[in-house]
Amino acid sequence: MLNGLRHRIGRLPSEASAARPGHALLAANPPLARWRGAIRRHRWPLLFVSPFFVLFAIFNVYPILFSFWLSLHDWPGLGPMEMVGLANYAELEHDSIFWNSMLNSALIFFIYVPVMTFLAIVLASVLNAGFLKLQGLWRALIFMPNITSMVAAGYTFRLILDKDSGALNHALAILHMSAIPWLDDVWWARISLGLLMIWAWLGYNTVIMLAGLQTIPKELVEAAKVDGATAVQAFHRITVPLLRPVIVFSVTLSIIGTFSMFTEPYILTRGGPIRATQTPVIQIFSTTFTDLRFGYAAAQSYIYLAIIVAITLIQFRIVSRSDPVR
Amino acid sequence: MATNEQSESEAGYVAGWATSRLSRRELLERTALLGLALPSAAALLAACGESASAPAAATPSKGTTGSLTIWGWKASLDALKLVDGDFQAAYPNISFSYVARPPADTYRNIQLAIAAGSGAPDVSVVEDSHVSQYVQLGALADITDWVKPYVSKIVPYKWTWIQKSGRYYAMPWDPGPVAVFYRRDVFQKAGVDPASIQTWEDFYQAARTIKERTGSLMWQQSKARNDGRLLETLLWQQGTGYIDAKGNVILDKDPKVQQTLEFIGRFWKDGLAADQEPWTDPWYKAQADAGTATVVEAVWMGTFFKSFIAPKSTGDWGVFRLPVWKSGGSRASNDGGSVLAVFDQSKQKEAAWAYVQFHMGRDQSQLDIYQKTDIFPSLKPTFQAPFFQEPDPYFGGEKVRSMFADIAGQIPSAGIYSKDYQQMSELMTAEIQKYALGQQSAQQALSSAAQLIREKTHRS
Repeated sequence: MLNGLRHRIGRLPSEASAARPGHALLAANPPLARWRGAIRRHRWPLLFVSPFFVLFAIFNVYPILFSFWLSLHDWPGLGPMEMVGLANYAELEHDSIFWNSMLNSALIFFIYVPVMTFLAIVLASVLNAGFLKLQGLWRALIFMPNITSMVAAGYTFRLILDKDSGALNHALAILHMSAIPWLDDVWWARISLGLLMIWAWLGYNTVIMLAGLQTIPKELVEAAKVDGATAVQAFHRITVPLLRPVIVFSVTLSIIGTFSMFTEPYILTRGGPIRATQTPVIQIFSTTFTDLRFGYAAAQSYIYLAIIVAITLIQFRIVSRSDPVR
Repeated sequence: MATNEQSESEAGYVAGWATSRLSRRELLERTALLGLALPSAAALLAACGESASAPAAATPSKGTTGSLTIWGWKASLDALKLVDGDFQAAYPNISFSYVARPPADTYRNIQLAIAAGSGAPDVSVVEDSHVSQYVQLGALADITDWVKPYVSKIVPYKWTWIQKSGRYYAMPWDPGPVAVFYRRDVFQKAGVDPASIQTWEDFYQAARTIKERTGSLMWQQSKARNDGRLLETLLWQQGTGYIDAKGNVILDKDPKVQQTLEFIGRFWKDGLAADQEPWTDPWYKAQADAGTATVVEAVWMGTFFKSFIAPKSTGDWGVFRLPVWKSGGSRASNDGGSVLAVFDQSKQKEAAWAYVQFHMGRDQSQLDIYQKTDIFPSLKPTFQAPFFQEPDPYFGGEKVRSMFADIAGQIPSAGIYSKDYQQMSELMTAEIQKYALGQQSAQQALSSAAQLIREKTHRS
């Protein structure tokens, strides 16, 4: 693909003269001729967008294809690759640690995404409300965590959540509540990771919701109010249903994000305790760099990809069936 | 022409965007790895040595030329730099540059360079816990002919992981002889004489006394975030570990393993261990404040105390040898240690060896490093230097240097480090955590760890 593209684009500037001798030949092959004609007509736009496609081919398409080929081999990172067919996939079927990492992601998803989505809708509604002053400032503040370095945020959360010296447990002590083992218990560690995820991604999801809210005509809510609906009723009966496709979109992004978590658990919990916060990507990373099983890691990546794609498709199917706007 | 410029700048803009994204991500990962690297950063501090009077055949000529790239982490490279002046004088035609990254990051980069087939350094510092992986992969240069004269001069256990089929693939640097670092003030207050601690049972009883009389806990062992290192150290002392000499998994077969894990478990059950994640600020602080009475660690831990944990505590700390498990048993163990390796990808192996030999194989180089950094030599002739007999003021004037030299010479062989060490350690650690949190027995912990390790590493 890369070569083809480069070849075509490389010829473009001189095409006016170079293409002419082959004209008769091209005419004999109308689809190709049309294709070439289109390329010639759009050569400058094509040229300008080509860097993306070139980079995409090198850094995305090639690794994706290479990974599949790799997943059919045993390779420790040096020396000849041994073709093993689907053996890596067969082994994966019984790999409790890998499936456990999938389960972890699912559990963490249910711990934080409902809360985060709810908060995002509420925050977006508040930000969208006419009475709020300094809207730009609030929007910027809410989005700020998303552009903060996750590494810095992760370490800060570690310090805050430390069970002995962390600020949060000190605060609980002042309130005469008992200390919580935030990072030292299987379930609390997952919750702590959820807290970090909410902190980091709430602003992002709020922006998505806000964009959705701004597409909902104000007249609908006003009409409902004229009919005697309270603000809560109007929100619940009008705004949320109309926002549904946007909510589904945001939840879909959260699913993908939760299964792809790497930096957050890597910094906050290092996948522990007892692998409770080990996500598929951490697992794949460790298969590659700790176990030096590049082929097996590639197989893990493919299964992981297949599962994410499946979940996303199901999600879209559900939303397209029950979209009230349609 | 104008259009060309425009399209070029367009391409440049997009490419620049992609690059900056990549490097930001890389940066994130690196910084992340820095955090993970802390435990192994602990291991980075031991030193090593080689003899000054190597036979001519092992010494490259003064005229050797080269331009070397050397990888490692800051503490190790700072130590190597202490010898650079002398090295430049001896080999004026060899230039070199250092790339300092945290250990875990160094290993990632090595693995990527190996997989890519280019980009490896000429020389790198590699920990004993990792070197076996590279030796077995065939990533390191066979330096047998050069290194042979040193085999008898270096503490024997250091050669364990860098041999394959009778060939040698790296040059030992520092060993990690382990002893018990203890707070004199705490022991004194509790009325416990460290000399009376002969067995681990004595150690446990001392822990009870110390807690009763001073409130200090004996050691820090995290439950949920245990890193498995103490268990490894105590198993190493008994010549056992994850695997036996044939490479078969023995965690669930050697009763010593279960006894040892249960021994550590008694400290949790009886409230004698502080629950702090190792290699973190609270962990260091508890040591500095005498919140815990002992640290069972290798010689390089002394550098941590002196440099940043408790630099002002001169005289507060002492060192005694590991208690025995049964009378007449070993009092030596190992944790960490490192080598210098020449990579097979290097096109200047002779110059690389000149560097390695001068820094590792020359008595004076090793002494210079040890005197200034506490990175311990494994080169036996250096142990004869008067410096080893001098008292160490930080440890209350004890002659800890000769003691560690003695321990280094007695480290038993044990199945801890191997090409699968990282993997085995990771699998074991999760089971220890589960045991520590009271969710399974020691026996269950070891049998599930053993089963997982067999499954994942295809061992029997």
